[in-house]
Amino acid sequence: MTEVSIEKLTKSYGNARAVNAISMKIAEGEFISLLGPSGCGKTTTLKMIAGFEDVTEGAIRFDGQDVVNTPAEKRDIGMVFQNYALFPHMTVEQNLAFGLEMRKVPKPQMRERIAKVLDMVQLKGYEARYPRQLSGGQQQRVALGRALVIEPKILLLDEPLANLDAKLREEMRVFIRDLQRRVGITTVYVTHDQAEAMTMSDRVVVMFGGRIAQIGSPTDIYERPENHEVAEFVGQVNLVQAKVESVGEGTATVTSPLGDFTLPTKISVKPGNMVSLALRPEAIELSKATEGQPAATVLASYYSGALMDYRLKLDNGDELHAQTFPVNRFAEGDRVALHAPAERFWLVGVSK
Amino acid sequence: MSPGKTKGIGPYLLIAPAGLLLAVFLVLPYLNIGVMSFRVPGQGTPYGEGFTLVNYARFFADSFYIWQVVNTLWIGFLTTAICLVIGFPVAWQLTRPNMRFRGLAYGLVLSPLLVGIVIRSYGWTILLGNNGLINRTLTNMGLIDSPLPLMYNALGIIIALVHVFLPFMILPIMNGIQGIDPSLEAAARSLGASRTTAFRRIVLPLSMPGIQAGCILVFVLSLSAYVTPSLIGGLKVKTMAVTVVDALIDTFQWPFGSALALMLSVTGAVIVVIFGRMTRMKWKVA
Repeated sequence: MTEVSIEKLTKSYGNARAVNAISMKIAEGEFISLLGPSGCGKTTTLKMIAGFEDVTEGAIRFDGQDVVNTPAEKRDIGMVFQNYALFPHMTVEQNLAFGLEMRKVPKPQMRERIAKVLDMVQLKGYEARYPRQLSGGQQQRVALGRALVIEPKILLLDEPLANLDAKLREEMRVFIRDLQRRVGITTVYVTHDQAEAMTMSDRVVVMFGGRIAQIGSPTDIYERPENHEVAEFVGQVNLVQAKVESVGEGTATVTSPLGDFTLPTKISVKPGNMVSLALRPEAIELSKATEGQPAATVLASYYSGALMDYRLKLDNGDELHAQTFPVNRFAEGDRVALHAPAERFWLVGVSK
Repeated sequence: MSPGKTKGIGPYLLIAPAGLLLAVFLVLPYLNIGVMSFRVPGQGTPYGEGFTLVNYARFFADSFYIWQVVNTLWIGFLTTAICLVIGFPVAWQLTRPNMRFRGLAYGLVLSPLLVGIVIRSYGWTILLGNNGLINRTLTNMGLIDSPLPLMYNALGIIIALVHVFLPFMILPIMNGIQGIDPSLEAAARSLGASRTTAFRRIVLPLSMPGIQAGCILVFVLSLSAYVTPSLIGGLKVKTMAVTVVDALIDTFQWPFGSALALMLSVTGAVIVVIFGRMTRMKWKVA
């Protein structure tokens, strides 16, 4: 098991900085995701860890040892590529054997390790197949097996599920996560899919424009996003206008169309300021409108099986998006009462 | 109706022009040559009445012709091998993403094809002749006393053939290498392979389809080359193609010339098929 530490890692292309002095520590056996839109530097970071991309500045340490000048083939990493990068002229078994041959593992031991890994990725009996004879999901598992059979220090995955269809993608999420837990290998996973990052990771690193916007557990990232960009990227957000009534020690009391709340605040506000409150759609509960409750009119409703999505209009004209279980259904034009617990709100900024 | 399973005459109409072209300019002439090769040699005419096996008997009875086929094949082999050895690094370099002057290099690769075949071959006689540029320069520098035999031999023919057929080796190999996913090399490196090993174990085997195509092209072209061998080989070294034309045009022996032509075609085809079998890529057809 290996601990990875990244210090002020920078990658410049000319004047442009693809990765800008990022630092993080990845614990032994931890599953960490680099999450962000394309061009945020997540893949470049992964490539620098793998050794495929030169480092402009900074350090990458595996168990304290700087590997920046170590060539890729000496870093002892297992890598899974977006397109799997299986060797098309080799059978499944030969693909798995490649890394072991490079390590000069003796034949009998090699066979044993391949059998063990094939069992692990549920591909027993596929030894003699060529990659093109396998489905996408099977190719994916061969790629995973090929990376794991060398028992690397670190497992790196570059958007490995991007080419799979939705159902298989969800199955593979669980599969990879379970496998990683069982093997206990330190893992860095690159994705632009927030749901993927959330379901699989111990911690998520959200990146924008070559910088780290937030590092935290999936819960932290989703429920306590440090800024609006992060909040927007990892899920849908409603913004509700509110007015600051009074300010306390790191808190502010506000009035809003959804009620009055006292919330922790990281930004400095003054009484009388207009601010925005952020709220996830699924934090809102709906019931039949009653006197004295904040209310809204249903503009539209969408049924998606497990959930109902509503577009709501507050009496002040603002629109809200609410997501509920389809227990009580409301139709277009219905008046509904809104319930949202104070701890699900956060304050995102002063509006003029 | 699903795409790819079209019925009716549509698909046949699409390949009809190519089929017609092949029929008129390949199948018919071959049939004609085939029939001609069994005709009785003529007396004062290109061919006589009736059919016979005498033309083939003459070929197999005379070791001169058999040796000429062997020589022609040997020249073809060497030309192909040298084209491969010279061409592969060029093709490799031309596919590197950071290659500078790519357009210029590409033009240079194609340049032999931009000059007419007769002019190009005469160019080589100026360079390779006993009084040619190379021999004169070497003599003037005092490196040699008598001219090196560069012309009127197999060496001269091979040099000139390599020059003109190099593009037919380089282009298919380039095509093959370009089709190799760059992440395969990265994957090999991540699994512990050095650059050299990644090249040997991944890139080289995966460029085999291009190598195969290039080798077949150059080999077949070398066997059928006429102008270059006849100008550079002169009267001393004759390839089979030259002998065939001699028989057909100079000595007017149409039946025997046809038999010679067919023997060359058949041997060439057999070798190409064997080569194809030997280099068959299981991972491609699987």
